[in-house]
Amino acid sequence: MAKKKDYKNDFLHQRFDATETDYDQRGYHLEVVLDVNQVRKFAQTAYDLGFYIVFVAGLHVRPNEGHDKGNSGLVVVYQFARYDQLYRIKARVSVPNTLEIPSISDIYQGADWHERETRDLYGVVFDGHPNMKPLLLSEEDPDFHPLLKEEKKLKSLDEISWPSEAPEVAKGEAEAETGR
Amino acid sequence: METISILPPELIRMVIAVIIIISFLFLNAIMMGYAERKIAGHVQRRPGPMEVGSHGILQMIVDGVKLVGKELLIPFNVDRTLFRVAPLLSFTPVILPLLVIPFSEKLQARDLNLGLIFIVTMGSVNVMALLVGGWGSNNKYSMFGAMRAVAQSIAYEIPILLSLLAVVLMCNTFSLKEIVAAQQNIWFVFLQPVAFLIYVVAGLAETNRNPFDLPEAESELTAGFHTEYSGMGFSLFFIGEYTNMFIVASVATVLFLGGWHGPHLPYGEYLGVVWFFLKVYLLLFLMIMVRWTYPRVRFDQLLNFAWKYLVPFSLVNLLITAVLVKL
Amino acid sequence: MLESEYQEQNRFFLNMGPQHPSTHGVLLIVLEMEGEYVLDPQPVLGFIHRMHEKMGESRPCQGFMPNTARMDYVCALPYNHGYVSLIERKAGIEVPKRAEYIRVITSELNRVASHLLWLGAYLLDLGAFTPILYGFDDREHILDILERITGSRLTYCYYRFGGVYKDVDDKFIEATRAFIKRMRKRYVIYEKLVTKNIIFIKRAENIGIVSPDMALRYGMTGPNLRGSGIAYDVRKNEPYSVYPEFDFEIPVGEQGDCLDRYMVRVQEIEQSLRIIEQALDRLPDGPVRSKVKKNIKLTPGDCNFAVEAARGELSYYLVGDGTSTPYRLKVRVPSYSNLSCLPELGRGILLPDLVSILGSFDLVIPEMDR
Repeated sequence: MAKKKDYKNDFLHQRFDATETDYDQRGYHLEVVLDVNQVRKFAQTAYDLGFYIVFVAGLHVRPNEGHDKGNSGLVVVYQFARYDQLYRIKARVSVPNTLEIPSISDIYQGADWHERETRDLYGVVFDGHPNMKPLLLSEEDPDFHPLLKEEKKLKSLDEISWPSEAPEVAKGEAEAETGR
Repeated sequence: METISILPPELIRMVIAVIIIISFLFLNAIMMGYAERKIAGHVQRRPGPMEVGSHGILQMIVDGVKLVGKELLIPFNVDRTLFRVAPLLSFTPVILPLLVIPFSEKLQARDLNLGLIFIVTMGSVNVMALLVGGWGSNNKYSMFGAMRAVAQSIAYEIPILLSLLAVVLMCNTFSLKEIVAAQQNIWFVFLQPVAFLIYVVAGLAETNRNPFDLPEAESELTAGFHTEYSGMGFSLFFIGEYTNMFIVASVATVLFLGGWHGPHLPYGEYLGVVWFFLKVYLLLFLMIMVRWTYPRVRFDQLLNFAWKYLVPFSLVNLLITAVLVKL
Repeated sequence: MLESEYQEQNRFFLNMGPQHPSTHGVLLIVLEMEGEYVLDPQPVLGFIHRMHEKMGESRPCQGFMPNTARMDYVCALPYNHGYVSLIERKAGIEVPKRAEYIRVITSELNRVASHLLWLGAYLLDLGAFTPILYGFDDREHILDILERITGSRLTYCYYRFGGVYKDVDDKFIEATRAFIKRMRKRYVIYEKLVTKNIIFIKRAENIGIVSPDMALRYGMTGPNLRGSGIAYDVRKNEPYSVYPEFDFEIPVGEQGDCLDRYMVRVQEIEQSLRIIEQALDRLPDGPVRSKVKKNIKLTPGDCNFAVEAARGELSYYLVGDGTSTPYRLKVRVPSYSNLSCLPELGRGILLPDLVSILGSFDLVIPEMDR
């Protein structure tokens, strides 16, 4: 297999909030937390480094809590990987209250359908997408978003993140977790 | 015989011949349908029809009954006249060529001195049926099929004619009976192998058989020109196709394979028909085998093949024949 | 409004599908055409959308197992495999060695079955009727073998968290070895009938060329990618289960046309057989299922697991919240990304070439619609 290269620094240089993660536990190597206006720059960086797009997905969490202050509660998750070596990146971006985030479908054309799907399932509108029509769901009812959770089932982003990311309280749990 | 005198005995003769030929057409379609399914089955390592009758021998009769009993669906917004006329137009012209084909020395409905021209002309009318059916169906897939059929038939009628002309040059007649008679000693397939090959290939295309079945290419055009047809409308197209195959094979037999000639049989002038049918069905068997072996060619490849290879080769062949005959 | 404009330009729309013979299921492609030339093919998905992801989020993680097979019914076992491995990674479940070997054997058998079905279906798209029956004949043997051991023929639910449902027996091993022997003899038939067929080559060569850059932009994976000359296979690149223990190659094509994609798949059948053979030789003894708690707790945090399905990289992405029900389950299916390049690939080509490209992509529509 080709030589291993760590791409963390490439992303840190571009001032992305990137943290290395434990691959055996999570299945990806690098986690990047993006700001809304960083999305396109991030995609361009990934494209220049030769990553391919794995998927774009949504996530619905309780809004206005913890890390997710001032946002709509929707999170968009991107995953990129490489053809030549084992390296996976997960990036997430919190969607602002306008429900609009920039589209990356002109950089990664493959994101086109994934973004349309995310719009179907969550109602996130991708700004600059050429064809923001329903893809999987029917065109008759574009405001039906099946993956939005009910209020009482929602959890905050901290509750569903790995403990090491959360502030000090959860640290001990994380160690207990890996120790076991 | 040259005088045009429709006297009652001659009229009765023709009527009887037409009746025999039409009943033979249906019989042929049934036999071919069964043979095709059975051969396809064996090519594909499965038994084929087995349930109705011994080894499924009655299958096609049952299918025929089913097709006759089906409702004739006329889709909304079609051109009703054209839609209804098309199957008849496909079926009727294929009867007429059989009138001039000499099945044996004395089994021929009428020996026209322009028999070959007559057959080729009638063969062209069949394309009209596909065009009318495809156009009248008001369906884009049918339309595609019809357009392909026309382009294909224009491309392939030229090499067919040119390859047939090579034989005509050699025996100086258009009468099929005389052409067969000229092959008493040696079949023309040995004198004109190139023409024979060109004729068989172009004949496959002319009958819209795989690998040239583009007008009905079912993976591209669903069913092509007969997409909208059901019941008897569909089966007339179907019978028309099989009869067309039979005519192409008969013409090949008459022109290249020596017609009724074969090892001597008692009552040879009548029983020569045995050799004739043997040769025709061997050719048909070949056509069926080709269908179940090869994928379909693409449309532009098909036309390229006709215009870039078949037409030049048949022209050269014709030229060489002409020079040699002259010498 | 545009209708009149289009008529002036001799352009028209053609709805290919959802009941068209060569869209293999209920895929609709709206073609903008001029004569026989396709100007703009736009796939329309979702005719059999079942919202598997929602089902995954609304029941305990065991309950999603049968759903995995319903996504890609042609090659269901790798879908099983990805899902159980995901939960095992998340919950830290150990799997006995023998179970991993059985998983690999059955997954690879399923992959061979899928490729055989594809081979027949592709040739059927090109108008050859016979190869599909030869393919089905061979595939039938695999289905029989798998039916005996898993209990189902198509939508398997054989793997369990921490192992497999049932141990294999000697009869299974015998039958599998017999199948490998038979399959190797059959190559020559396929080669004569298909691979060396001049009409087939003319229909597949230089058609639908996918460049490596294009593959990257669309996130293509699997044989469709390897046809373009990139040796990316999750089994090698991101080894899971016991795949690192086997010696096998990744066949790659040269220029990424339909013929390359065909050749890659045909060669992959042999590689899969090699894996199965080695796995059968080294099949260890021992239990096939480890003790797993009834109520699997999925710890908070996200987790990804990728496997190589017959059509490419299958990624499960799970977000846990401490209960046994996943908070979010995303399934990344290969055909979805593979097909998304069709609007770019199918511009300005002939209709029969579009059929050839669609066939060579090996699409399974339920997988894309989920």
